[in-house]
Amino acid sequence: MSYVAASICLILAGGGAALTVSRRVRLGHALFRLLVGGGCLLGAGPAIAALIGLDMPDVRITTGVPGGPWVFGLDTLSGAFLLAIVTVGGACAFYGIPYLAGDAPRRAVHRAHALVALLVAALAVVVTARAVMPFLIAWEVMAVASYLLIVFEHERPAVRRAGMLYLVATHASTLALFALFAIWGREARDLTFAALTACAPTLPDGGAAVLALALVAFGLKAGIVPLHVWLPEAHAAAPSHVSALMSGVVIKMGIYGLIRVVAMLATPPAWWGWLVLALGVISGVLGVVWALAQHDIKRLLAFHSVENIGIILIGVGAGALGLAYGAPTVAVLGFAGATLHTVNHALFKSLLFLGAGSVIHATGTRDIDRLGGLGTRMPLTATAFLIGSAAIVGLPPLNGFVSEWLIYRSLLGSGISMSAIRIAVLATGALALIGALALACFAKVMGVVFLGRRRDATTHDAHEAPRGMTWPIVALAGVCMAIGALPALVVPAALRVGVLLSGGPAMPLTITGDPASAALTVYTLSVTTGLLAAWLLWNSPLGRRRMPATSETWGCGFARPTARMQYTSSSFAAPLVAAFRSVAGVHTHRSACAFETHAGDPVLDGFALPAWSRIRAVARWFHPLQRGTLSRSIIYVVAAVLVVLVYLVAAGRAA
Amino acid sequence: MPHAIPHATPLVLLLIVLTDLAVLGTMRLSTCIRALGVQGLLLGLLPVSIAPTLSVHAVGLAVGTVAVKAVVLPWFLVWAIREAAVRREIEPSIGPIASLLLGAGAVALAFAIAARLPLPPGPDALLVPYSLATVIIGFVVLTTRRKALTQVIGYLMLENGIYLFGLTQTERVPFLLELGVLLDVFVGVFIMGIVVFHINREFDSLDSTRLTELAD
Amino acid sequence: MSVAHATALAVLLIVAPALPGIATKTRAVLTGRRGAPVLQLYYDLGKLVRKGSVYSVTTTWVFRTGPVVLLGSLVAAALLLPLDGRDAPAGFSGDLVAFAGLLALGRFALVLAGLDTGSSFEGMGASREVTFSSFAEPALFLCFAALVLATGDASLSGMLGAPVRVAWSHAAASMSLVGLSLFVLLLAENSRVPIDDPATHLELTMIHEVIVLDHSGPDLALILYGSALKLALFGALIVGVFLPRADLAAPAATGVLVLGLALVGVAVGVVESVMARVRLTQVPALITGGAVLALFGIILLLR
Repeated sequence: MSYVAASICLILAGGGAALTVSRRVRLGHALFRLLVGGGCLLGAGPAIAALIGLDMPDVRITTGVPGGPWVFGLDTLSGAFLLAIVTVGGACAFYGIPYLAGDAPRRAVHRAHALVALLVAALAVVVTARAVMPFLIAWEVMAVASYLLIVFEHERPAVRRAGMLYLVATHASTLALFALFAIWGREARDLTFAALTACAPTLPDGGAAVLALALVAFGLKAGIVPLHVWLPEAHAAAPSHVSALMSGVVIKMGIYGLIRVVAMLATPPAWWGWLVLALGVISGVLGVVWALAQHDIKRLLAFHSVENIGIILIGVGAGALGLAYGAPTVAVLGFAGATLHTVNHALFKSLLFLGAGSVIHATGTRDIDRLGGLGTRMPLTATAFLIGSAAIVGLPPLNGFVSEWLIYRSLLGSGISMSAIRIAVLATGALALIGALALACFAKVMGVVFLGRRRDATTHDAHEAPRGMTWPIVALAGVCMAIGALPALVVPAALRVGVLLSGGPAMPLTITGDPASAALTVYTLSVTTGLLAAWLLWNSPLGRRRMPATSETWGCGFARPTARMQYTSSSFAAPLVAAFRSVAGVHTHRSACAFETHAGDPVLDGFALPAWSRIRAVARWFHPLQRGTLSRSIIYVVAAVLVVLVYLVAAGRAA
Repeated sequence: MPHAIPHATPLVLLLIVLTDLAVLGTMRLSTCIRALGVQGLLLGLLPVSIAPTLSVHAVGLAVGTVAVKAVVLPWFLVWAIREAAVRREIEPSIGPIASLLLGAGAVALAFAIAARLPLPPGPDALLVPYSLATVIIGFVVLTTRRKALTQVIGYLMLENGIYLFGLTQTERVPFLLELGVLLDVFVGVFIMGIVVFHINREFDSLDSTRLTELAD
Repeated sequence: MSVAHATALAVLLIVAPALPGIATKTRAVLTGRRGAPVLQLYYDLGKLVRKGSVYSVTTTWVFRTGPVVLLGSLVAAALLLPLDGRDAPAGFSGDLVAFAGLLALGRFALVLAGLDTGSSFEGMGASREVTFSSFAEPALFLCFAALVLATGDASLSGMLGAPVRVAWSHAAASMSLVGLSLFVLLLAENSRVPIDDPATHLELTMIHEVIVLDHSGPDLALILYGSALKLALFGALIVGVFLPRADLAAPAATGVLVLGLALVGVAVGVVESVMARVRLTQVPALITGGAVLALFGIILLLR
């Protein structure tokens, strides 16, 4: 635990260095890199130790802190999330320095670096806190730091709007958390998680209120449909490395909270499992359908975060159902898959956001349809982005496949058991639909942005990103490939998390002896080497009897094909968007010589904004009340006091 | 004489549900009618395959059912399309994919309901879920198809479902099915007469959404 | 990997290119023509391998990688199937996910290679390919789910191996529905009539063939062989459902596999000669129909 504390202090010190040494830019950046990098490395150690099953004692601070004892601890669940935080946090912090360098004359860039460090530190505290007070404080610090980073480019109205939306969502989430802990803490001895766990069996209705509130509070943070409305806006507005950090780890705190609550409640009721499973299916399918319709690369990636949160929730739902119906294998595999997918998604989604950042940095546009043929100009970024795309789609042999495989196994395992949980096997169809649609979407992004020919002058002087921006991306791609080729590296740790959540070591599925993951490792390793060998052989002189010739792309009879005749992202996605038109939320505008599609968010446009304007309309009635003079304000106060007194008197008489 | 095809009943029932789904999935009126005809034929096989012994009554019922449901009605529908020059494409209010998924949901619902009914084991327990499925899918067709002709098809499917249900009652209520088949003929002629001649002549359209214009 | 496994795999790899030939021949015979020889694809492959490749100036390494990854992933997927009727050379719990994932990997590589040319025709083909496979993949998983429920085993070796015979004895209806659904998927995933027409050369009507317009020589050979192998893989799934052969000796089981594949080829040919290609907008509904068959099978099993 002391390593974690030291790591958090180092990261904070790095932020402080960036803030205070802002005059001497090079020194400030060097200190920031050194301290944050060192802090992240230091934090990875205990996280890995927790994941390989070492027991770490909790730290208790009893004196001098408000709200009862503050406890900090590190178990396998926290370890998995901490590892994701320090990996992604480090990569994003390093990437941010060259990424924001161009903004330095106009804005307070050093403040943004400091905020990134603060955010990473707050995240580390969130996952290690074992008492309500430090958890909520870190949660709020995280929320505020994210807000300040989102409104980094605050002179743009769209950014301010996104920031406001985020602020509303995150505070609604905090409010629900207050309610949750208030209800739960009423029964408990003090506000440590251990005390809450101890009193969990006494909660009314099996903790129904707590579970429902957890779903709202953490669902708002994670971006579960229909609570996701803030997510695409905020991700599109923030600088790319902040989007990467937010999509990679900040929204995952919602998942962490949800899983932590389940762990503390021991056995959730069956309805909650079914509800989470259904929400997962809905978020997954709708997220990817909305992503398909987007032209803005960052909004597209943001909707994919909604989709992946859906996949993770399917795992959590399967795990909860396994607990409720007493099917331990299903539970372990479901929670293990959900946790591993959280970590994997942190890795490849931050990779993709950073890659998108490099594209924006090089071309100055986020509109996919104006890009094209960037693969030859930015080879490293393109290759890493390709790996990230294949990983997020869940293709073997990459890391996304490993975690989806665990979730699939959990669902298929439910089909073998005899109780009502068997119906969960149908979710495999939904998971497959999500995967296939994600493939379509990333084929679109890869194809339209990096392959083919450039579409207009925007990309004329596109260039590979500076080294400080490419290596974090390449490093993340390397981690994705390593996990994918060697699942046995991570699956035991994931299963350990699953066992922790299912409570008790009496599992049919021993951690080291999961034969399937060993077999999968042998298989993926041989497939990887086989594919690599085949590729090398095929492209070597041995593989070809004649030298290949080069020529123009065949124009199919067109005398002069132009780059504008290429399929655009809209045309590529059109058949699928048409098939899902009732939920896709695409508006088309036609005029005599132009055709335009606008991809919105049906929940935001169709529900949240109308509701918001209705609330505003009602609130306007009360507007005159607020605009009074001092004397009128005093009258309100006196009136309020009188009302309370009358109520007290009446209540006293009634009692 | 014990009946000749003891294991045919489950297969026939399976095929009946497949014809239900075919009606939902197709966008062509002719395929719809063909599926309905096949369904009629399959329904005709059932009285024979389900009866404990091969009786004159069962054979007669089978022949009557096939004649009405597999020959006369489909022929009548085809004739109606030709006479009224109806467009060959169905214009449903929901797409074929949604229809099919709704159909799958209907089948699941039917089986779930049937599993909760206190049915005696035997042919009844076998028939009831399929009959419910056909009834519900008939309702789906009735409510999601705009044209009057496709609504007739939906109505006939509904009736086929009731016929299936009636099969479980042949022992207890004699001539129930025969009445049902007669009703078929009557209703078929009646509806077709109204649909083809009346609506077409008065409104130059077979689109039943226009029927709401009759309100005043 | 035992000798029986290696033999069965080798036989599959060798007979695969005959499968499209059988389908085309059946179609020709039924429509009163003589048709191309059954072994036509072998001649074509031989001819293409001897030729040189032509690459477009817009293409990158992605284009050259596509065919290799396509074929490699299909061969890797073949390792997961219990071709000898008992178990697979590389089977494990949940390997069906890897099977579907590898098919998706091959598709991803092919689609990206097509987009790499920057041609609108390849773009069109790529768009259609990903669209229709988006409907086919859930259907495939519903088939797998039904097989898991019927056999109580979550690996391909179990689902298509020894427990199949038992499954037929208590869930014949579901098994036949799954087989039927798999056949629809075979037609869809391999671009056969009524989804696509491999015999026409009008790019606008085609899905799969149009992605590979710019591939030539040995690269095209890899892709054509890969398509045949994919057809054979789906054929092997169907044979595994309909012809349980765990009781047979290994050579006999492999013989039955070849026979079954030939029957599948004939069935494809029959379908192609009695049906017309449906409109592109109707293809998703057709595939959903296949999925609903599997769903019906699942409902019968969950009862």
